[in-house]
Amino acid sequence: MKKNIAKYYPLIPVFAAYLVMFLIGKHMSGMWQLMAMLAFYCALGQAFNIFLGMTGYVDFGYVAFLGVGTYGMALGITKFASFEGLGIGIIAIGFILALVMATLLSLAVGAVALRLRGAYFAIATIGVNEGFRFLIEGARIWNGSEGIIFMAEMNKAFGREMASALSTFWADVMVFIVAALAALVTIYYMRSKIGYALTALREDEDAAKVMGINVTKYKIIAFITSASFAGLIGATSWAIKTPYVFPPEVFEIHYTVEAIIIVLLGGSGTLLGPVVGGLIYGLAKYWLAVILPGFQLLIFAPLIIVIILAFPEGVIGLLKVRVKGTSLGRFIE
Amino acid sequence: MIFEQLAGNLIQGLVLGAIYGMATMGLSLIFGVLKVVNVGHGAFIMVGAFITLWLFNGLGINPILATPFAFMVGMGLGFIFYYTSMQRLLKAPELATLLATFAMGMLLEEIVKLVAGSEFRGYNWAVGKINIGITVLPMTKIYACIGSVLVAVLLYIWFKKTRAGTAMRSVVEDDEGARVCGVNVGWIYALSFAIGIGLVVASGVLLTMFIPVGINPYMGGAYTLKAFVIAVLGGLASPYGAFFGGLVFGLIENGSYTLFALLPGVEPFALTRFLSFVILLLILLIRPTGLLRAK
Repeated sequence: MKKNIAKYYPLIPVFAAYLVMFLIGKHMSGMWQLMAMLAFYCALGQAFNIFLGMTGYVDFGYVAFLGVGTYGMALGITKFASFEGLGIGIIAIGFILALVMATLLSLAVGAVALRLRGAYFAIATIGVNEGFRFLIEGARIWNGSEGIIFMAEMNKAFGREMASALSTFWADVMVFIVAALAALVTIYYMRSKIGYALTALREDEDAAKVMGINVTKYKIIAFITSASFAGLIGATSWAIKTPYVFPPEVFEIHYTVEAIIIVLLGGSGTLLGPVVGGLIYGLAKYWLAVILPGFQLLIFAPLIIVIILAFPEGVIGLLKVRVKGTSLGRFIE
Repeated sequence: MIFEQLAGNLIQGLVLGAIYGMATMGLSLIFGVLKVVNVGHGAFIMVGAFITLWLFNGLGINPILATPFAFMVGMGLGFIFYYTSMQRLLKAPELATLLATFAMGMLLEEIVKLVAGSEFRGYNWAVGKINIGITVLPMTKIYACIGSVLVAVLLYIWFKKTRAGTAMRSVVEDDEGARVCGVNVGWIYALSFAIGIGLVVASGVLLTMFIPVGINPYMGGAYTLKAFVIAVLGGLASPYGAFFGGLVFGLIENGSYTLFALLPGVEPFALTRFLSFVILLLILLIRPTGLLRAK
């Protein structure tokens, strides 16, 4: 029994980090927005890591799942706002819609793209976000390129005060919760058959296949899990927090790149990595925006190249090797 | 009436397709030789566009003459990127090269933005237009079309007749075998990457003749997706496949635009972009080796 719990020790530093971030945000004045942004990046990294980190496949269209999740919440609120008595249940409906839509899209994309490997997979996914955006705009689905603005519906459904509390405080709290859930799922996968299968497939897909591992099944599991978390992040961070959704914004490839940098920086395929990556990236971005506004990308682009060349294992990847076998080693994964 | 319009648009599509094809040849060459997908493709096109702009507005050099210059600049960039990073990543997992090329593209975009700002710019090269009955073609487009066909032919001759071209083809076939036969594979990798990037930058010059006022540091993104569709149409590893893929894509794009415009309540331009994504997935699903390649 004790051994079973010991398996989950690596969660301690992750949850501790989230708790500290939450407490700093809650109790130090003016820090909430920064902590909320950091939580968003940690959650994004954690969610993306389940697929990119565990399989080694690069999904350039990842932001599409966040976008679809945003639409799910937006539709939930706009369609159900007029029903009396649903109250906060509307948010639950929104989350369910976000989850279902992200899962459906990931099934559709996965069914095609996951048959492909390596470079072909990356090429197939690089257009997913653009493709979906142009479908929404072109066929005028969900208001097309005008997007959806649902501030009024939020006020109507929850009352002005509650709506404002939702977007300034509870949305960020929910991001923390989603991030923690993603960490929980990550460690569960790592410690189960799924994790071993994915490690085998990341190292050598052909060998894994020959050993009788159903690689397609595990790839799809990782892909859908990762996508549904993205949907949830979109639903809170991009829908409840800012009550509008415009196709060009929520399908911007830029966010996929940020997710990739975070996962790589922290250490892909590790549990703590995305948290560390998210913190470093978020703080660096915040700091650069203050001292050198408009130059973040100019600095991040060479940074990506340097990370790939100099330390592809990331911060936690390097640390893990150092602390292996020591008492600290049990907490770092 | 509609057929006349369709025929006119298809001719326009064919002319544009020749440029698309040339723009994708570099991508296919790099994938064929190095097995690297250049995800930063669009940014290199953008560099070509800015070279044209600066040469034309600054020194009055016309875009046709800018093409060889852009090719040289592109080769230079290719060598720099190859020796500073690509070389060390060839044996690394795909993730590494995909991200590295993506980051290169981002770096170029940000540098150009720093120098030139992010507003849209353009130039005006007035050389008249000709009317061929069903549609009107500006002379610039015709020059661009001739230019890209010429480049494709030159590349073909270079591949077939020169030693380096033969060596390159041998590396595409089997790099181990080429090494055994005394080909300096490392140099061929570097040269292919440089020529590939050179072709992409040069195609950026010709492309500006279609969008004379659409030059902007982030203009490349749209062409990256198109280039992937075209490259996949042509079999991804073959520069000639890519050229014909470009022609096919130009026809599909303009043809479908004309047809989508007939539907009520839709935005035809966005649907055309969506269609290109659907085509990409369909080809990858049904025939990953490309439509134009007999297997």
